[in-house]
Amino acid sequence: MKIIITLLQVGFLYILFLAGEFLRAKLSIPLPGSIIGLLVLWGLLSIQIIPLRWVEKGAYVFLSTLPLYLIPATVGVMDYGHVFAGKGSLLILITIGSTLITMVVASLVSQSIAKRHVKEEGTLS
Amino acid sequence: MNTVVLALTMILLTVILYFVMNAVYVRLRSPFLVPILTTTIVVIIVLLLFNASYETYMVGGKWIDALLGPAIVSLCIPLYKQRDLIKKNLLPIFGGVVVGGIVGMLTGVLAARFVGFSTELLASILPKSITSPIAMQIAEELGGIPSLATVLVIIAGLAGILMGPWINRWFKIDTAIGQGIGLGVGAHAIGTSKALEYGEQTASMSSVAMTLSAIIGALAGPLFGIWLFP
Repeated sequence: MKIIITLLQVGFLYILFLAGEFLRAKLSIPLPGSIIGLLVLWGLLSIQIIPLRWVEKGAYVFLSTLPLYLIPATVGVMDYGHVFAGKGSLLILITIGSTLITMVVASLVSQSIAKRHVKEEGTLS
Repeated sequence: MNTVVLALTMILLTVILYFVMNAVYVRLRSPFLVPILTTTIVVIIVLLLFNASYETYMVGGKWIDALLGPAIVSLCIPLYKQRDLIKKNLLPIFGGVVVGGIVGMLTGVLAARFVGFSTELLASILPKSITSPIAMQIAEELGGIPSLATVLVIIAGLAGILMGPWINRWFKIDTAIGQGIGLGVGAHAIGTSKALEYGEQTASMSSVAMTLSAIIGALAGPLFGIWLFP
């Protein structure tokens, strides 16, 4: 029985993704269907049309194996060996360097604003 | 080979390798052994050994890829459960995402221009921190190569999760907000898959950063590009 409930929830999450794809096509929203589906689910949970327990088990199945679903995309790198030969290898270096700077800046900015916040309001989050 | 057999072979190859690599990672806990990286490498090696193309792989791979959509929808759950944390930290979240996002686009494009790459390549590297469907759109609008943009997005994501633990140590990033926003802004969905390891708060921060980056990127990315290389 537990498995059936979880599978139903998995199916429901898939329907939300399809709904997101549908909205993207119909309203030509410039966001991927998955992110529109996420925002729709957020809305449904927030106005309490759907209780959390209707989706939580199914979502946990996906979240506990999230990297798996990214692998078909990452394997696609195999077709790009030639682009990165010679001078193209600099593209990889720039991407890595820029990602490093991006993460350091994003982390430091958010963390320092958050810590100042805590000092002012005395609430730790 | 029969299409169904081929598809099943590719699916089983990926799923079994993923769980084996995950078990290795859980045992050894080296940041270089994250299963998304090790599984990708081993799958590519196996494909090359058998002279199989990416197209052949995707006969089965597309079924796993089809589950990425609902998996991203599922990220709503940590997001929703941590809604109080998000509401309390709107300013740090927006600050980190906007400043980080701008720095990400600027440093990539400027470095690539400094090296002398063509506009086509500049447009392909600009959206590298943004989740791939959006990155492809932005690259296309600016005259870049969408598939190359996707590859750079993946390289950014993998590099991000490898560097994350070092960044946290060197720069004393010791809060769920700092760690999550860094992973979400710099490494999108791949970063968020790593953030799940740190717990629900970090995952929620990474998800919110990834989602906001996608929204802001979709709206502002092309404008930014036009300004950078008119």
